[in-house]
Amino acid sequence: MESLFTWNFASEIVLSTFRMATPLLLVALAELYSERAGLVNIGLDGIMSFGALAGFMISYLTGNPFLGILAGALGGVLVNMVYAFCTVTLCAEQTVYGMALNIFAPAISAFIYRVYFGVSSTLAQATLMKTIAIPVLKDIPFIGPLLFNQTPMVYFAYLMVPFTAVFFNRTKAGLSYKSVGEYPKAAETLGINVVRQKYVACIICGLLAGIGGAYLTTCYVNTYSDGIVAGRGFIALSAVIFGHWTGSGVLMACLLFGFCDALQLKLQIISKDTPYQLFQMIPYVCTLAALAIMGAKKAGPKAKGKPYLREER
Amino acid sequence: MKKVFTLMLVLALALSMIACAAKAPEAAPAAADKVYKVAMVCDSSISDGGWGAACYNAMITAAEAHGWETMYTDNIDVADYVSSIESYCSLGYDMIFLPGNQYSDATKEVAANYPNVMFAVLNGNDQLPTANICSILPNADQIGYLAGGLAGLMTKSNTLGFIGGMELDTTKAKLAGFEKAAKYVNPDANINVLSAYAGSFGDTAKGMELATSMIAEGADVFFGDASAVDSGARQAIDNANGSGEIKVFDIGQPADILGQNPCVICSVVTDNAGMLGLCMDDVQAGTFGNKVVYGTLENGCLSAGKINTDLVPEDVQKAYLAFVESVTKGEFK
Repeated sequence: MESLFTWNFASEIVLSTFRMATPLLLVALAELYSERAGLVNIGLDGIMSFGALAGFMISYLTGNPFLGILAGALGGVLVNMVYAFCTVTLCAEQTVYGMALNIFAPAISAFIYRVYFGVSSTLAQATLMKTIAIPVLKDIPFIGPLLFNQTPMVYFAYLMVPFTAVFFNRTKAGLSYKSVGEYPKAAETLGINVVRQKYVACIICGLLAGIGGAYLTTCYVNTYSDGIVAGRGFIALSAVIFGHWTGSGVLMACLLFGFCDALQLKLQIISKDTPYQLFQMIPYVCTLAALAIMGAKKAGPKAKGKPYLREER
Repeated sequence: MKKVFTLMLVLALALSMIACAAKAPEAAPAAADKVYKVAMVCDSSISDGGWGAACYNAMITAAEAHGWETMYTDNIDVADYVSSIESYCSLGYDMIFLPGNQYSDATKEVAANYPNVMFAVLNGNDQLPTANICSILPNADQIGYLAGGLAGLMTKSNTLGFIGGMELDTTKAKLAGFEKAAKYVNPDANINVLSAYAGSFGDTAKGMELATSMIAEGADVFFGDASAVDSGARQAIDNANGSGEIKVFDIGQPADILGQNPCVICSVVTDNAGMLGLCMDDVQAGTFGNKVVYGTLENGCLSAGKINTDLVPEDVQKAYLAFVESVTKGEFK
């Protein structure tokens, strides 16, 4: 246990936290954009697994992880269009179609992988994205090498946070976007095309969640296996609620999850005699504690989860 | 638009039903030359590049050798074990192959209702077998010994890493054997084994994080029992080695995976196909049940895979082979 509280220990935890929080952050932002337009999408796990497969296949075939990310994003949009058509145009129940994505998308991903690669005792390995150090920032003592020597996707994810905050609070487009999730009828009377806005939200959601999935297979691990998403979509979903539907809140929630997970893995290794199940509870116990302390006063967008029928009074 | 879409969906459904129905008549074989059928029900994926893939391929290999038909269902949840197994029973399968002792309870439940269906539980314990249940039990201690012996001889830092998926009895036995053998072959060094569980068999990223942490704690030879998680661990080891000299090693399982990653020095190979084949013989002969099929070094169902001669020095190879010999003879247990 003496290795606790040393510099190495801290830096490892920080690095590990950022590695684990990044995919969560991308997907949580995806959900944020969806819910801000009133669409609760619980199908994130499904979108991610399809994104992970598309990203992996393209990165494997072309050797270019950036094309992989692009494929993941397109794949995510494609899958999410099923959800968009059913919930926006057909006004179907959002939870049901979210769940449908969670069943359908991982299965089709597994199917495609098996048809292409077969079943063997080795997994195919693709090229991973290289890290890029940011010139000046990386020279900051201590935090420089930790935070500013990452893959471009990590920078992208974290830059999305201030962008999201500014977009939703300081721009006309962002405020109109939010109004669709709050009170779509009023938004419609002000000349906002609610249906179009909801489709845009689904495209953004599919894009970001697909990138989040592709991040796993193009920036994180170099193989694809079924179950690689491992419930990250659901953690991202709770991060949005936990983060009170704001960019910065979502960031803090994702970092907390990432940190707790990094900590539990590390504690397992250094304290061998404690049952590992105890450590695996840490992220969930922390969430419970944080929710209890911070409370969940804000209930999020008012019209979330409700279908919007234009002709209905 | 909506109507067109709905119509298309209905049409697609109808077509797929016709397509499925068209195959049905073929599936009724003449009673004279009975074609035996085996099905595998599995909670992990069969394309996980680890446990699931090894078990699936074992079934295919054994079934081809015996002329059996195969079917599988994978990625099922704990809650669906019973219903999945039952559905194969009612489809008239002769044998159900269950690759892991986590299915033991579900198997007992179903087996009582289907006395004519035979169940082969891989890693099932020795109390499990009944008239229609048979355990296939590769010796987990010996698997641990085979990996630990080489790890103990190869380590420079005297720190080893072991990554498990879930804390199964067999995993615990492998870990204990791994540690015991490493200490036995290298008694002067104070060997420390780091161990951790990913809590899953599919979360590759967790395997990577765990291995990275262990390397930071000084571990230099790794062994695992966690399917796809192992491949994440190997990636972390390759990253740590970088493009320079390979100083951190991995021992693979359950197939011979030498060459898959540069860090792999050897594999502990389990011949599941051989053991499953023995069960198929029993089913055909009508002698199935009340039996444990053991997989050991002695009967050849366990073995050490090919050794990476570039990374393992010659004297270590010799010492290791001598150790394997002593385990086979039962001198070390």
